[in-house]
Amino acid sequence: MIRLTWFQFRAQAVTAAVALAAFAVLLAATGPHLASLYGASGITGCPAASCEHLASNFLQQLYAGGTYWVLYLLGVVVILLTPAIIGLFWGAPLIARELETGTSALVWNQSITRTRWLAVKLTLTGMAAMAVTEGLSLMQAWWAAPIGRAVGHGGGGTNLAMGRFSSLVFATHGITPLGYAAFAFTLGVTAGAVIRRTVPAMAITLAIFAVVQIAMPLWIRPHLFPARHTVISVMSLDNVSLHQGGVDGRSFTLGALNIPGQPGAWLLSSGAINAAGQATGITPAACTKPSVLGGPSLFPCLARNGIREAITYQPASRYWPFQWTETGIYLVLALALAGYCFRRLNRRLS
Amino acid sequence: MMSAVIETSRLGKQYHRTWALRDCTLVIPEGRVVGLVGPNGAGKTTLLRLATGQLTPTSGTISVLGEPTAVSPAQLARVGFVAQDTPVYPRMRVAGHLRLGAWLNPGWDDELAQRRISQLGLAPKQRAGSLSGGQRAQLALTLALAKRPELLILDEPVASLDPLARREFLRGLMEAVAEHGTSVVLSSHLVTDLERVCDYLIVLVASRVRAAGEVSALLGSHHRLSGPRRDPGTLPAGQEVIEESHTDRQSTLLVRTDDPIRDPAWTVKPVSLEELVIAYMNPANDIPARRPRLGVAS
Repeated sequence: MIRLTWFQFRAQAVTAAVALAAFAVLLAATGPHLASLYGASGITGCPAASCEHLASNFLQQLYAGGTYWVLYLLGVVVILLTPAIIGLFWGAPLIARELETGTSALVWNQSITRTRWLAVKLTLTGMAAMAVTEGLSLMQAWWAAPIGRAVGHGGGGTNLAMGRFSSLVFATHGITPLGYAAFAFTLGVTAGAVIRRTVPAMAITLAIFAVVQIAMPLWIRPHLFPARHTVISVMSLDNVSLHQGGVDGRSFTLGALNIPGQPGAWLLSSGAINAAGQATGITPAACTKPSVLGGPSLFPCLARNGIREAITYQPASRYWPFQWTETGIYLVLALALAGYCFRRLNRRLS
Repeated sequence: MMSAVIETSRLGKQYHRTWALRDCTLVIPEGRVVGLVGPNGAGKTTLLRLATGQLTPTSGTISVLGEPTAVSPAQLARVGFVAQDTPVYPRMRVAGHLRLGAWLNPGWDDELAQRRISQLGLAPKQRAGSLSGGQRAQLALTLALAKRPELLILDEPVASLDPLARREFLRGLMEAVAEHGTSVVLSSHLVTDLERVCDYLIVLVASRVRAAGEVSALLGSHHRLSGPRRDPGTLPAGQEVIEESHTDRQSTLLVRTDDPIRDPAWTVKPVSLEELVIAYMNPANDIPARRPRLGVAS
């Protein structure tokens, strides 16, 4: 059965190998230059005071140059889409195509049980799916390492400066691609087993996978571990977004963009609170003079009048627990779907 | 003593609310070529799929080659199956199919497979999708035969073939059966496909078995009677009317009986297998409809 699986999988395996090779060539051709830019940026061995500035300059340079920003995005998109493509083209047809063409009646009447047929197909194809996706991710991680280091040094100011917890980076690095690949593949197989037709199964697979991949970072991932809360002085904020409105700037929103003393933390939410500890958007009357509202004395004035910043976040040290937990969730889902396929194959399908 | 290749007792299969097969009790002896004949939708495919273990019964029991139809590799190896429309992998070459057979069947007879393929003139490099219907059926049959099963089940194998390909297919089947002594069950909605090859017949109509037995015994126990008009209800016990037609003066009956016809009023003729099967398949001859209607005839 292993030989048959490989025999029937050859064409897809070749396609995957070609795609991996093309990706590798693209990254290998541009990676060394990116690394040399990093080397020339002076971040390595930088004095503590200037690291952040140097890192920001480096990222700015890459972003303005365009090429590396596009390559970075391209890599991320490829890694995000690969599990979906695998679910569509490897997963959905695995059972559905056999049922559609009637070849299930041929292959399931050889001297081999359906359970074994499915076990070998799922294992080998699933392993290939995970290997391909993780392979892409590792290549991209190698290529983008200078960017990650610059961000780690506090570099910011461009779209390229995405922390490890940002949705795009978290989902394309570490071990999460393994989980996504396994889940998307078994989702496709299950949709095919239930719907029994390849093309509708592909559509359903894509729809469900897209919903899950959107729901995970928005609504599930932030709550995998209880968030931490902290209240800090507005004077200690070093990177904020401030919006003022209302009559004469009487209302404001103040969001923190990073957490002082917590580099690499995942900022979930932030907002101003008043002396009583309640969320507030009203500028204290003492600070509404035009000279204060638009000037450097605003923050000291806010602080004097009891305004502080409340922040909800996940500390940077939870990066790997988050990675393991999320990957684990996807792998458990994949196993559950696979288990359902075994049941269905033996009970319902013929 | 002959053992049974398929033995069922009150076997039934229900899909949602409809019974595809019900109350099917059969004993199919070993070493026969069994024709399973009935109109489309009569439950033939359901019965065959139950026999190969692809379906589980809703009621009753079935055993194949003396064992319950558990889906174990050993049991799968003993039963060959050629599905309706003889599916093959369109993009896989002929040689690939033989490799598939060799990989998945411990009892694979590669010599037989290769010999059949070359006799049929199939190019090993040819993709199965480009084969004609007849060639595809032959390839599917080759896979099933080279597995060397004790029982070979074929579901409407020749339904989509032209007459020449039908003849070739059935000849190939008969040669292999003669060589290896395999028991065969094959279904068709046309008895003409089966009469040349079968020595045992099962007539399945509207999910029920209407007649089953050796072809010679079936032919011997069915008679066409014609004579003066007569109410079938007045026939002696043991004579079952399968089909009747009446004119003002004459009655023509198709009767099943194990006893000789002694009534000199009847002209007794033998029936052909086709007549016999068509009589059973004709919905007008269904059991509830076959009540004496003579009284109201004008």
